[in-house]
Amino acid sequence: MSHIHIPDGVLPIWLWGTGWVVALIALTIASRVSEREAVRRKVPLLGVISALVLVAMSTEIVPIAYHVNLTVVAGAILGPWMSIISAFVVQVILALLGHGGVTVIGLNTIQTATEMILGWMFFRTLVRALGRPRVRWAAGVATVLTLVVTTTTLVGLVALAGAGPAAIRDTGALNPATLRFGNPLDGGVVNIGLFSGGHEHAEETDEADHEAEADHETEADHEAEADSSLSVTRFASVVYTLGPIGWLLEALITAGVLGYVARVRPSLVFEGGMSQTESPHYGDEHGGH
Amino acid sequence: MDITAVDSAAVLGTSRLHKASAAAKVAAFTLVLATVVVTSDVLVLLSALALLVSLAVGMGLPLRRMLPLALYPAVFAAVFAFASAPSVLSAVLIIGKAVTAALGGVILMFATPYPQVFAIVQRLVPGIVGDALLMTYRSLFLLAEKLTNLTTAVKLRSGLAAGQPVRAFRATTRSLGGLLLYSLDLSQREYDVLRLRGYEGRLRVRAIPSADRAMDRAIVVGAAGLLAITIIVRTMPAAVGAYTWIFATLTILTLLVTAITRWRKS
Repeated sequence: MSHIHIPDGVLPIWLWGTGWVVALIALTIASRVSEREAVRRKVPLLGVISALVLVAMSTEIVPIAYHVNLTVVAGAILGPWMSIISAFVVQVILALLGHGGVTVIGLNTIQTATEMILGWMFFRTLVRALGRPRVRWAAGVATVLTLVVTTTTLVGLVALAGAGPAAIRDTGALNPATLRFGNPLDGGVVNIGLFSGGHEHAEETDEADHEAEADHETEADHEAEADSSLSVTRFASVVYTLGPIGWLLEALITAGVLGYVARVRPSLVFEGGMSQTESPHYGDEHGGH
Repeated sequence: MDITAVDSAAVLGTSRLHKASAAAKVAAFTLVLATVVVTSDVLVLLSALALLVSLAVGMGLPLRRMLPLALYPAVFAAVFAFASAPSVLSAVLIIGKAVTAALGGVILMFATPYPQVFAIVQRLVPGIVGDALLMTYRSLFLLAEKLTNLTTAVKLRSGLAAGQPVRAFRATTRSLGGLLLYSLDLSQREYDVLRLRGYEGRLRVRAIPSADRAMDRAIVVGAAGLLAITIIVRTMPAAVGAYTWIFATLTILTLLVTAITRWRKS
């Protein structure tokens, strides 16, 4: 669950707006920390690891709407600060290619960055606890733990979006007259007056409507609340039913990839992408950061 | 995601949309996005979608390559809609919003070289983020090609077969592991290039000026008009709500006329 596949205009503005603000603050802090040293090495590393995540994401398993993410692998190599930058970069490119909404880039950045940072944290802790020979187990368990947490945060986001009057006002097919989430074609298209715009019908039924309106609104409010909470429950049950298949696949792939790399280039996995040794370049003794 | 197709269409395209400035196209895309966010009417959304398809058809953009990308988010939106939408119509609205916004983004990327789009983003984000964006997009092509080659090599050497899932899985993870190692080597090479060229914390992209100012104005005014109609429909549903079908019909007719004209020309 590296990012939410929720289109633009579905989540309430306050939610995705907050997502943007939090993501930009995190991005600014992460950039300042990352720019302190070795920026020349970090830029290409960020570029290739973000590209790797994007390439992995292009292989989707359609029946369960899941694709490989490699976010835990990216987190293990980049570390926490660069993970935030990488998460943002990945989400911007995905959104521009039509994969995921533009308005939800902020929320998706938080979600992906959380996954990378948690993955890095769990992986490092488990490697220390289990020992280097069991790197596959550490990677697999870290991935499952990370995905359980981020799937739960995703359900939390949908619950935030689907509960309360603010969400109902900002979400989807709103009827501005009643501020209720409803069928936008209800009474509008079926009762078309080609030249009157349905006004005659509206005037005739106006008085009766006013009488019924008060009773109906209270009833509808209760229905809307019930619908909303029902939707979140349904969403959670779908995600927690399909999710474990994805968690298992991702855990197996992450364990396989990190296990393979740990065998051929251990420092990369155990010390991170910045651990690579480099030889001094003649003529650039003073240029390096 | 066929990134190569997107890039070649953006760089080699010669339509009027390609000649318009990146800033105008990004502004128009933002307005279309605002339309998608604001609208709660399926017919208005359908109109926006029809107008975007008309634009793509009219400009001779490769619609066959664009549509799979634009429809891709519909798969995930459908899962979300199925899981959480309170009614069938809300589900249609959710999927429609995903496709319309995606098509807007895909048109932008098919008609604008990526450094030009990222140059605008670069002005708004910290230096390292802007540079990482450019570096990522460049690496994406290299890694996508490398993964294809690695997969072919693995298939040839270990003989991937549907009846041997464990073996296939091991081969796939080794390809991804190999790709990761290749990525790190690529990163080292790019670092060497940056050192050699005296990189000091900022990759500069020069904005290409517009070659068709009339087109700049047309797309921005068109997108602003669409947003204005959407806001009117949303704020005055009693007065104009019943007429949205006329707007939808007009846009579909526009699409038909554009498609026929284009077909005759070709």
